[in-house]
Amino acid sequence: MNREIYRFAARLRDLIGNPQSAISNPQFADLALELFALQYGQNPVYRNICAARNLTPPVVGHWTQIPAVPAAAFKELSLTSLAPDESTTIFHSSGTTGQKSSRHFHSAESLALYEASLWSWFEQHLLQASGLKFQVIALTPPPELAPHSSLVHMFETVRQKLGAAKSAFVGKLAVDGSWALDLEATLDALSPAPLRAPRAALLLGTAFTFVHLLDYLVEQDFRLELPAGSCVIETGGYKNRARALPKSELHALITERLGVPGENIICEYGMSELSSQAYDTAKNSPASVHYPRVFHFPPWARVQIISPESGREVAEVETGVIRIFDLANVFSVAAIQTEDLGIRRGDGFELVGRAQLAEPRGCSLMAA
Amino acid sequence: MNLPDYFLADLPPEAKLSPPMIAAACNTLKRNREKYLLPRQTEDMVNLLCEVATGWLQTDNHFRRLALARGPSETGFSKAVLDKGLDRFFHQFTPDNFHSLLEQEIGKAAGVTDATQPASDFSSPTPDFWRGPELLTHIAAGNLPNPALMSLMLGLLTRSAQFMKCASGASLLPRLFAHSIYRADPKLGACLEIAEWRGGNRELECALYAETDCLTATGSDETLSAIRAQLPAHVRFLGYGHRVSFGFVTREVLRDEVIAEVVSHAADDVIAWDQHGCLSPHAIYVEERGAVESDRFAELLAIELAKRETSEPRGDIPIEESAAIASRRLIYETLATHRADAKIWSCPNSTAWTVVFEHDTTFRISPLNRFIFVKPVPDAAAVMVGAAEVRGKVSTVGLAASPEKSRELAAHFARWGATRICPLGRMQNPPLTWRHDGRQALGDLITWTDFEHDF
Repeated sequence: MNREIYRFAARLRDLIGNPQSAISNPQFADLALELFALQYGQNPVYRNICAARNLTPPVVGHWTQIPAVPAAAFKELSLTSLAPDESTTIFHSSGTTGQKSSRHFHSAESLALYEASLWSWFEQHLLQASGLKFQVIALTPPPELAPHSSLVHMFETVRQKLGAAKSAFVGKLAVDGSWALDLEATLDALSPAPLRAPRAALLLGTAFTFVHLLDYLVEQDFRLELPAGSCVIETGGYKNRARALPKSELHALITERLGVPGENIICEYGMSELSSQAYDTAKNSPASVHYPRVFHFPPWARVQIISPESGREVAEVETGVIRIFDLANVFSVAAIQTEDLGIRRGDGFELVGRAQLAEPRGCSLMAA
Repeated sequence: MNLPDYFLADLPPEAKLSPPMIAAACNTLKRNREKYLLPRQTEDMVNLLCEVATGWLQTDNHFRRLALARGPSETGFSKAVLDKGLDRFFHQFTPDNFHSLLEQEIGKAAGVTDATQPASDFSSPTPDFWRGPELLTHIAAGNLPNPALMSLMLGLLTRSAQFMKCASGASLLPRLFAHSIYRADPKLGACLEIAEWRGGNRELECALYAETDCLTATGSDETLSAIRAQLPAHVRFLGYGHRVSFGFVTREVLRDEVIAEVVSHAADDVIAWDQHGCLSPHAIYVEERGAVESDRFAELLAIELAKRETSEPRGDIPIEESAAIASRRLIYETLATHRADAKIWSCPNSTAWTVVFEHDTTFRISPLNRFIFVKPVPDAAAVMVGAAEVRGKVSTVGLAASPEKSRELAAHFARWGATRICPLGRMQNPPLTWRHDGRQALGDLITWTDFEHDF
């Protein structure tokens, strides 16, 4: 066990836990370089990658030069500073059947950091804005059925922090192991209990489960009116598990069928390879219902938009590949290059799509 | 250099197409066919196509110059790639090649000078009648011109009125080809229509399908199913779904004396049409234990691609495609630092070309645009194991081998299910007699009338 990296994690956790302590640019830069040196020293796989690119701690002078690893490399390589006996939890990406999934290794300390990171930004975004007490409904299977999902772990952390009942999870596993909704339990949870004072609902789920739910409501000709102040947080893509809807259409349907207005629908951007998430609302300000939505990571994670041709950062209005430097990824790798495309918008970014193996000009097979 | 607006695709972008316009265009085409096309003889059509092709092969040809001037921005292919691709394509248009095609697919009846009359060879026990569809519709995919031009050529041979629907923004080369036919013979040009709109426009497509007798379509399996579902039952549907291709280099040509030529042929196939289309290789399997080792072959291919980038540069590609290349590169660069058996060579400062060498023989889908996998294998059997997942979806196997070995390998790959085996370097340049996806391209369009008699 390397004490330095644990000390770094503890310091960062304190910083994250204190919403008053903003992280300035120079402070972020120092922390990033400090973490890079630790990860270079402790993570042998990452060290090889950096050495091969000749970007080692003595050479790298600024955090933007720190070598990023592709998110997909988590499928092939063990990108961790944890010794095998320190790892207690592994988060897998939700890859499609037959594909390898990513592995993000966690120990008790790194999970604590993950929870601190997700809760702090979640709380600043959602709760301070509304000031309401929510009844939580998560449209995913419960943690015991999805122990390797970082998303379910996040929802469970939120549920515990808000003191909601365990029955909050209304998802289940289908026969093939994929996620499905228990529609009866979902409708039960969403229907107002006549004898209780209605509490605002906080509905958490992936875009594709929302589509499943909404399709069902349309089919049954049901319209629900969730209590005033109810919020929806939708996350993630579709991965071919439902018909894909543009965000504006999905949100309009949520408003129509669940009675949640657009300003209470919040998009989340995250992945199992990260420990922080981005939301598309500005801190403490009413959510904007303009599309495209602009996402923001917390101060301990920064985004760069990289030109796939030159490998350098693009100008503010140009499209590029999203690269994230997440300080909360202390025990894996902080610099992650995604396959998502984005455009910088002020201090946030707009999500514009995904790198595609599609062949608009040819006719070869689609990406397997 | 503007084009007269003979075709719907020539109209300015603000002109809006409507179902009545499509129906009217189809009816005009049918009338013109009746008047101008049906009376023509097969040999006339061959002569016309050869004349048009001879024109395209001249450097000062009006249409070729337009293709090279506007092609790079409209098709995404560089001038050099267009130049070479068009040359290779139109060189195939010779009387001999057309006669081989007609002989192969129509046989004795090909000699018929008037397709509506019985075959001239009355000594044949079964004199036959053949005819093409009245209105032949093509749903062309993407910007790769060869399949679209080939389709128009076949439709002219069957004397069909033709309506080609191109993807939005992808009609330039079919239009120019149609204009060149119009210039050579305006009456025949009046039997062609080229239009473009974004696929999935139900109203326009329904109007078109209602007039169609036979429809060819290229695209994803989903696209083909969607089209098929909309077609009236009587329409003959010829769908060409997704296919992939790969190369195979045998040990005996991995020798110092011939390696430069083999590498150059491999580069030709990667560069041709920037690797777009079903016939371009995603991977080149290379036999191990040659005098030149497989990783050296990969390195030589990288050197060749770098050299050719200056003379035949890759075109500009959309951000999604360059991001896919950047992403794959980063993954292989990362893996290469951990595996002695994986290596990567790539164009610095751009995504123009990439060679990935890896021992894993599993066939991988390349992000294309000159991104090629080189995979060492002990023998051909290992190729078939590695490519098992795409078995039945393989169009072309490009071979670099001795003639004897090629014959032996062709038999193996044919049994395995590949539908075309050709020399490496010619993968994107099939002859006119090519049977698209293993089916007769011309023969599939035709309807026969059998005439049985007892005299």
